[in-house]
Amino acid sequence: MDASNGGVEHPSAADFEHARVLPEDRTWFKRAVFYEVLVRAFYDSDADGSGDLRGLTERLDYLKWLGVDCIWLPPFYDSPLRDGGYDIRDFYKVLPEFGTVEDFVALLDAAHRRGIRVITDLVMNHTSDTHAWFQESRRDPTGPYGDYYVWSDTSEKYQDARVIFVDTEESNWTFDAVRKQFYWHRFFSHQPDLNYDNPAVQEAMIDVLRFWLDLGIDGFRLDAVPYLFEREGTNCENLPETHAFLKRCRKVIDDEFPGRVLLAEANQWPADVVEYFGDPETGGDECHMAFHFPLMPRIFMAVRRESRFPISEILAQTPAIPDLAQWGIFLRNHDELTLEMVTDDERDYMYSEYAKDPRMKANVGIRRRLAPLLENDRNQTELFTALLLSLPGSPVLYYGDEIGMGDIIWLGDRDGVRTPMQWTADRNAGFSTANPGRLYVPPSQDPVYGYQAVNVEAQRDTTNSLLNWTRTMLAVRRRHDAFAVGSFRELGGSNPSALTYVRELDGDTVLCVNNLSRFPQPIELNLQHWNGYTPVELTGRVEFPRIGELPYLLTLPGHGFYWFSLRAPVGEEP
Amino acid sequence: MDPQLTEYLTQQRWYAGRNRELTDAEPALVVALRDDIDLVLLDVSYDDGPGERYQLVLRRGDNDGDAVFDAMGDPEVANLLLSLITESATIGPVSFAAEPGAELPVGETARVMGAEQSNTSVVFDEAAILKVFRRVMPGVNPDIELTRVLSRAGSPHVAPLLGTMSLDGGPETALGMLARFADNAAEGWDMAVASTRDLYAEGDLYANEVGGDFAGESERLGHAVAAVHATLAAELGTATALFPVETMLERLAAVTASVPQVREYAAAIEGRYRALEGQPITVQRIHGDLHLGQVLRTPETWLLIDFEGEPGQSLDQRRAPDSPLRDVAGMLRSYQYAAFQRLTEGGGNEQRRKQLAARAREWADRNRAAFCTGYAEGGGTDPDAELLAAYELDKAVYEAGYEARHRPHWLDLPLGAIANIVSG
Repeated sequence: MDASNGGVEHPSAADFEHARVLPEDRTWFKRAVFYEVLVRAFYDSDADGSGDLRGLTERLDYLKWLGVDCIWLPPFYDSPLRDGGYDIRDFYKVLPEFGTVEDFVALLDAAHRRGIRVITDLVMNHTSDTHAWFQESRRDPTGPYGDYYVWSDTSEKYQDARVIFVDTEESNWTFDAVRKQFYWHRFFSHQPDLNYDNPAVQEAMIDVLRFWLDLGIDGFRLDAVPYLFEREGTNCENLPETHAFLKRCRKVIDDEFPGRVLLAEANQWPADVVEYFGDPETGGDECHMAFHFPLMPRIFMAVRRESRFPISEILAQTPAIPDLAQWGIFLRNHDELTLEMVTDDERDYMYSEYAKDPRMKANVGIRRRLAPLLENDRNQTELFTALLLSLPGSPVLYYGDEIGMGDIIWLGDRDGVRTPMQWTADRNAGFSTANPGRLYVPPSQDPVYGYQAVNVEAQRDTTNSLLNWTRTMLAVRRRHDAFAVGSFRELGGSNPSALTYVRELDGDTVLCVNNLSRFPQPIELNLQHWNGYTPVELTGRVEFPRIGELPYLLTLPGHGFYWFSLRAPVGEEP
Repeated sequence: MDPQLTEYLTQQRWYAGRNRELTDAEPALVVALRDDIDLVLLDVSYDDGPGERYQLVLRRGDNDGDAVFDAMGDPEVANLLLSLITESATIGPVSFAAEPGAELPVGETARVMGAEQSNTSVVFDEAAILKVFRRVMPGVNPDIELTRVLSRAGSPHVAPLLGTMSLDGGPETALGMLARFADNAAEGWDMAVASTRDLYAEGDLYANEVGGDFAGESERLGHAVAAVHATLAAELGTATALFPVETMLERLAAVTASVPQVREYAAAIEGRYRALEGQPITVQRIHGDLHLGQVLRTPETWLLIDFEGEPGQSLDQRRAPDSPLRDVAGMLRSYQYAAFQRLTEGGGNEQRRKQLAARAREWADRNRAAFCTGYAEGGGTDPDAELLAAYELDKAVYEAGYEARHRPHWLDLPLGAIANIVSG
């Protein structure tokens, strides 16, 4: 930025040390296990009651031990925190409670030393209304920032764009008393949308990308990407101009920072989301990854209905993706599931099922953690995790779910799932040495889910704990690239409660059999393709009977699952 | 006739003469499909009336004098039939024909699914299913006919027809059909039973509260059945007929004669039928034997299968236009069977059984209502309640006759339904 122009000054990456970078690998994200961690909630290094970047750095060995390949950090930028940090006040500054840019570089460096990558959220669509750009924009309509936001004399434009936060916002326009004009915002009224029709805004945001990439960050989750542009007569989502801008961002990555990734957060149908991977001819020239939103509620519905079809149906509706692209899949994250996105189409399966099942609506629609959603049922937790680790896509774990942490619903749905990581049974769950009253929120003291009962220290020492089980499954998954990048084929079968599929990569064949019912089930599989092969169970290496010409019969306990490697007959090529 | 073959024939599930005295079994036709493989039509006669014609595919062993055996279970034979259909070959009087534009799986592994009441099915690598009709009758086969009509009309609720086998010369006689195989599908019956299993396990939860609720699926199934009816009506036409009071009364009289438990309801049933006498109804081609075992859930939608109609009837009877409410009634009755099937197994104390029966009724009511909602939305017609009740009664009376003969401990099920309808 040109400061002489009455502008806003930003630092340059050259002002800081840079983290070491990992060897260039353009496909790492296709095989990675992601772990979403909130800086505030993980570890407090300076006893001020809030987690920070230095604290996270101190706990990297734990994530390495667990088997995590990449950490995803929700925004840690300077912010008034009216929207969990998604309301960014300064893209070039770290929230003071979390530390400094130097602390972030130290975290990156320490993570890279352990082979762990780090990505973070970047909100492209809007800024906080406290951002200096917006303050300049409202003060001086003809100044350098006058066109940084979408201003209008009327609130009548773009009426076809829906209001997303219908609970809090009446319109996408809000009147600004200073500039005496309306400004456009797709989300909260304190989050004005940037004006991407202004080339200077595009340049300014690409400068932000370059700043963090120069420091060594491995990628960005691009928040709310469908909404960058506005055009009259459209719903202002997924516009061609938005895709063109993402292609520009991708080109910066490919030309200057190969191996770094862009992950799109577009809460839309898979058929629409694939557009964000870009041109399949090129292997994909927009985002490398995108979240598969509808899969998660389908997994919950399938187990509740004891039927594979909620999952089979959405996978059948998911189009192929470019060679260099990958889905991100998850069971839980820091956000609630926004059901209105999943149920856009009235003829859709989920629409009618949710309408019929108030309990599903209540449970999946609000912010709960995995364990309480599954009533702390270990068998179901394992089944859900096994599905997450074996269905197509890179799994994203949510911090604390690996030990079965609970939520505190009385904190309100925003903070209920953001309580401190439960490290030990000691004071403050071992999260902080601050006076308990200073903690940003208290750790859970629930008799079942509280830190006295559920914590990392106790579970590390117990072989059959959820934590050690999760770690084993991550290790098993890592041994077979077929889980990550293999082809996917459902085997079907007459039992509707069985979900069975094969993941295959270069002759490495993994067979996954899941019983979605709480009752034991017999499952008959047509495995004629693998006549003569021997299924070897992957956690214990137990050999099962050889596959013959007849249907292969398996019995599974309630909510049971098997992962097999299919071993070719000796003396034959697989 | 080879006595071993006769012995084999009489042991097959598709053999219809089990309670009769077989007097003769003579080949009416032998067509060599290959040096060692013959397609044989066997005329079977009895001492007490008309006989039947059966289709066999026989394979000779490599050496003279080796046994000849029915080779429908032999993948080589299955693949031979598939390639003959692919080539649209004609061998003697047997015509093989691929449907125009159909994509056939060639050289895939064949897997014999097993024998049904009237046919033997072979699946080719989860891509196609060949049904070879065992009992061969002259006349248009309704399964081929309706599957073809629906396939050509682009209905998403049918597994498309890929090819046929038939006999040339004389009246049209179907020998087999090849259709796309719905891989990754489950039968409606299995899904409904998974749902009721969940219900029974709870006992104190209502049908709309348990996780395995099936109402959403039932509604979509209603949609699918309505769509199939609409397509059949559009393609093959509709007509107006009078409510078939005589046919229903005949069935009632026959069942009342042999099942004394039906007698107490006979007058009330007759009253319901008579009330509809002379009422015009819309008739069209229908499935004819629709129940939860004749529908498949695929990842995309519901399919209707086996359009062959009621097995006990002649081909002409099965092809006669009928009220679509007969199909709807068949589905509604099937829901009751799915709900109560576990209770018919007996066991448990009286109080528990009462509670489960109440849950089962709720489940059946909920899913029947959801099916009707879907049917009305899908077809735009809300079935006339009185008319539908009559078709349900007719079906339940038929079931009473069947259960009394074959599964007496199930008899309470149709009797309960009859009591319920006539008192309603």
